[in-house]
Amino acid sequence: MTNPMNNLLNDLEAILVLEMADDKLFLGHMQSDWTGLGPILEEDIASSSMAQDDLSHALVLYEYLGNRFGLDPDVIAYEREPGQYLCCDLMTVPDEFNWATSLVRRWLFTHYAAPVLDRLALFEDKELVERARKLRAEEALHVEYLDDWMRRLGSGSDEACDRIQKAIGLLSTHAGMLFELPGRELETDESFCCGRSELFEEWVGNTNGVLEQAGLTMQVELPDMETVGGRSGVHADHFTATHAEMGAVRSADPGAAW
Amino acid sequence: MVSDNQHIDAVHAVLKGIPDPELPCSIVELGLVEEVRVEEDGRVHIVLLPTFSGCPALDMIGKDVQQKVSALDCVSNCIVEWTFEPAWTTDRINEEGRASLARHGVTVPPPGEPFTGPSTTTLRTSAIPCPWCGSTNTRLDSPFGPTRCRTIQYCDDCQNTFEDMKRLAPGGGDD
Repeated sequence: MTNPMNNLLNDLEAILVLEMADDKLFLGHMQSDWTGLGPILEEDIASSSMAQDDLSHALVLYEYLGNRFGLDPDVIAYEREPGQYLCCDLMTVPDEFNWATSLVRRWLFTHYAAPVLDRLALFEDKELVERARKLRAEEALHVEYLDDWMRRLGSGSDEACDRIQKAIGLLSTHAGMLFELPGRELETDESFCCGRSELFEEWVGNTNGVLEQAGLTMQVELPDMETVGGRSGVHADHFTATHAEMGAVRSADPGAAW
Repeated sequence: MVSDNQHIDAVHAVLKGIPDPELPCSIVELGLVEEVRVEEDGRVHIVLLPTFSGCPALDMIGKDVQQKVSALDCVSNCIVEWTFEPAWTTDRINEEGRASLARHGVTVPPPGEPFTGPSTTTLRTSAIPCPWCGSTNTRLDSPFGPTRCRTIQYCDDCQNTFEDMKRLAPGGGDD
């Protein structure tokens, strides 16, 4: 008897899609905390819109995986064990309602998401390609918007620079783990199109370009293969807490709908 | 026995009366309807395109189409499918849709202007003719507006805001 979830979790291509879906599910969940609390009205709307985008992008990708492996997208999203989630723990670092932390997190991630979606759009599976292209077009809005904020704050008051630079310091230690490989065999697998070191170089180039314009600095190293984290299902406590909170309604009332 | 063409005309007439719940337009005017296909047994397949993947109106639109087309005597069953290919863009909004949006203070980029490159946004940031006073002394106020598909613009002459539909380049891949 084959288990659809195990099939999914053992398929290299599916794992790439699942990483992106899980990142976006948790980022969208975390960012939703800010709805109604943005520092100005336009930013509140923008932040909530991006959270809405991230959650819907997660759904579009879970639906793809659901169609392919015969699973309900909600089951993929909510009914895995914590160790079966492949998101990077950058997503669940508490932002303590510090706007700079929220902004830098989204900025670090969107520069990762955009080139990964570009790569997913080069796969052979037509259904995946169509979905990745749609999401990539929408992700471009996040890149542009968040780049603009980084430049504005970097060239703003001393306090703005100081806050944003501190947020970069806090989150850059987690950002390298976006590029963690979920399993050693992937290092040499050419079908694994992402080529993590190339992806990392692209990310460093794009983020550094903005940081230079903003007068900000960041140091991120590509983690070695021995370092395991979220992509391997080994999560920090803040992930576990967020996971429990996110699934609270579903675990209390599994059939709940609204 | 009615012909397939009559079937399709009847279905199109129904679709033309189905509004987008968040815009003063029908789903036909917005260009959401990609295909209407009638099977021999009277089943109708309708293929729709989402404007944005996160648009919360999609479910409502899908159910509205399903119910209203199924209610036609000549239709035994209606199946609604959503597809991402071709990608919806504002170029699909027809003249009636553009006129109706303009009356409600929503501008639409002219169709056919080339995209500037792969995966780039082409949000308009200045000089859109104001739908209220006609001035081009206008600027982008916020790239995120009341719905996913619209930006907020500001007119420095009449000091009103208006909304502009986002025209996104299809992302990724080879183009």
